[in-house]
Amino acid sequence: MAGIQNLKGLAKAEKYYTDYGTRAKELRAQGNRVIGYISALSPVEILTASGVVPFRLKGNVEEAITKGDAYMETIVCPFVRNVFDSAIKGKFHFIDGMVLPHQCDSLDRTSDIWRDYLNLSYFHFLNVPHVTDEPSIEFMKEILRLFISTIEDFTGNKITVDSLKKAISLHNENRRLMRSLYDLRKSNPPLITGSEMMKVLVAAMGLPVYESIELIKEIIEDVKGRKPLTDGQRKRIMLIGDQIDSVIITDTIEKAGAYLVMDDISIGSKMYWQDVDEDKEPILALAERYLRKLKIPTTFVDTGGTYEENLNARFGHMRKYIEEFNVEGAILFIYKYCDPYGFEVPAIKSYIEAVAVDVLYLEDEYSISSLARMKTRIEAFLEMIA
Amino acid sequence: MAFFLGIDVGSGWTKAAICEDNELKSYAIVPSGGDYKKAAKEATNLALKKLNLSVKDIKCTVATGYGATMADFANDVISDISCHAKGISVLFSNVRTVIDIGAQFTRAITIDNDGRIINFIMNEKCAGGSGKFLQVTARILHVNIEELGRLSLESKKPVEFTTACAVFAESEAISRISEGARPEDIVAGIHKAMASKIMTLVTRVGMNPDYAVTGGGGKDIGLVKAIDNELRSKAYIPYEPQITAALGAAIFASSK
Repeated sequence: MAGIQNLKGLAKAEKYYTDYGTRAKELRAQGNRVIGYISALSPVEILTASGVVPFRLKGNVEEAITKGDAYMETIVCPFVRNVFDSAIKGKFHFIDGMVLPHQCDSLDRTSDIWRDYLNLSYFHFLNVPHVTDEPSIEFMKEILRLFISTIEDFTGNKITVDSLKKAISLHNENRRLMRSLYDLRKSNPPLITGSEMMKVLVAAMGLPVYESIELIKEIIEDVKGRKPLTDGQRKRIMLIGDQIDSVIITDTIEKAGAYLVMDDISIGSKMYWQDVDEDKEPILALAERYLRKLKIPTTFVDTGGTYEENLNARFGHMRKYIEEFNVEGAILFIYKYCDPYGFEVPAIKSYIEAVAVDVLYLEDEYSISSLARMKTRIEAFLEMIA
Repeated sequence: MAFFLGIDVGSGWTKAAICEDNELKSYAIVPSGGDYKKAAKEATNLALKKLNLSVKDIKCTVATGYGATMADFANDVISDISCHAKGISVLFSNVRTVIDIGAQFTRAITIDNDGRIINFIMNEKCAGGSGKFLQVTARILHVNIEELGRLSLESKKPVEFTTACAVFAESEAISRISEGARPEDIVAGIHKAMASKIMTLVTRVGMNPDYAVTGGGGKDIGLVKAIDNELRSKAYIPYEPQITAALGAAIFASSK
């Protein structure tokens, strides 16, 4: 692995994507503590402020679940089962602990399984509320304080207002840079492909924030100087979904003849689009960022206004993406047994179709077993909107 | 004289269609088996033979279907959904909804005046409503799949199936047999269950009074009748329903 440090930019991201976890492993070997998290709802700023390396757990769509099903029922979502399968097989042997949020049933109801069978030195269930009103913000602040105190106890490092502010500022910088990289997809053709972007997103989520910042800077330099590809007119597609983390999906879309130019996925824009307000008291700013600014289907949004106003509050960001990135078609890709997204499908579909952008709705396992089936649908969809 | 070839490599069968001036001149259907490349060549050669032609007489080839990329001699690949739409628009210009019942997949497609897709839906990772259902039924009853249609029409009291899942339907069929249900009533019950599953696809995609049933399922008169009952209308059935996508591919090839 000595070679990785000599690689730069996209080549480095590619390596981190392929050997996911390699950097966290090195950092652990150097005496750092590594804490795993699993979704966009995990306040990484607190982990950074405590001095640990936040490391996002992921599964592998190319690997069958062989051990995990002995612990988790098959009604649990295929992503959660796959990640747990990796964990129980020892693939994340280098993590010291993990934080799991109150998010969907597949996470909540399996938290005891993660806690009891992985035998980690640190495990924290982050009891995030599901509504966004004022009392919930107060509750969220307490939840964040509780999280801080458990991680302080574990590391022995005190998280001060200053260290938290510094971490927030670093993560905001990371987000700003990632958004600048996304900006390079706005041209037609985009300067960076959807699959390259996927590799960058996965690489970044396995790095400490300061290394992610450096990596994204290098990649922006790499990509900025490129000449746009000119391989004919292709439709510009946005990918919507939750834990999509494989280039196999993005490749399938792009090889069918599309430009993947934007996403609303958990490891993508959901991580990078909303900053934490640096002018506010940090705990309040974090509570607002994760409970109100981050739009995920497990958070119930009720503006108190009309149905249309609620839809705008929940999905308005997607319409902005459509305008800013000139999106011509959307692929809504949902995992089977994902209740929160499953319930959102009709609303998302009609909301996007209302701005004259067609939506292809796909439902699948977290696995490549039915890729050919998906390919047919994507090809037909592109032919349909051509 | 110019000939154009459409080749549809499906999960069950591989179909070749040769057109001249947008008119079907010859076709062939062979099992896809375990070697899609071989099947594609076989179907092509059979269809060519019927016209005493050779590969060099084909001006352009379009491949489609689940294994389209295996027909590596094709000039282009177009999705089977587009090809079904195109094929049907040539056969029945008034049809606006296509129900294709293949070995593994069932698709409902709505099309415009020019045979372009307006919308489509496929059965998800589930064989309910697909040709698989018919294969399973034929196997349990030890009858040829071709006989299912005729058998179904003889039914006086179709068995009510409580599941649309092909796997569970198998055990349900066996329980009904053990209770003394007649084979024709089992088949008619299966057809009814498939038709209601297909009905949900059609409802989602948008129903038009003029619809066609294509694919191997279109050859099963019992199934078509059950679909007609569900949709309260009468389906257009091509002379050879199974080659609709291959025909569409050949039409696409003609315009290349």
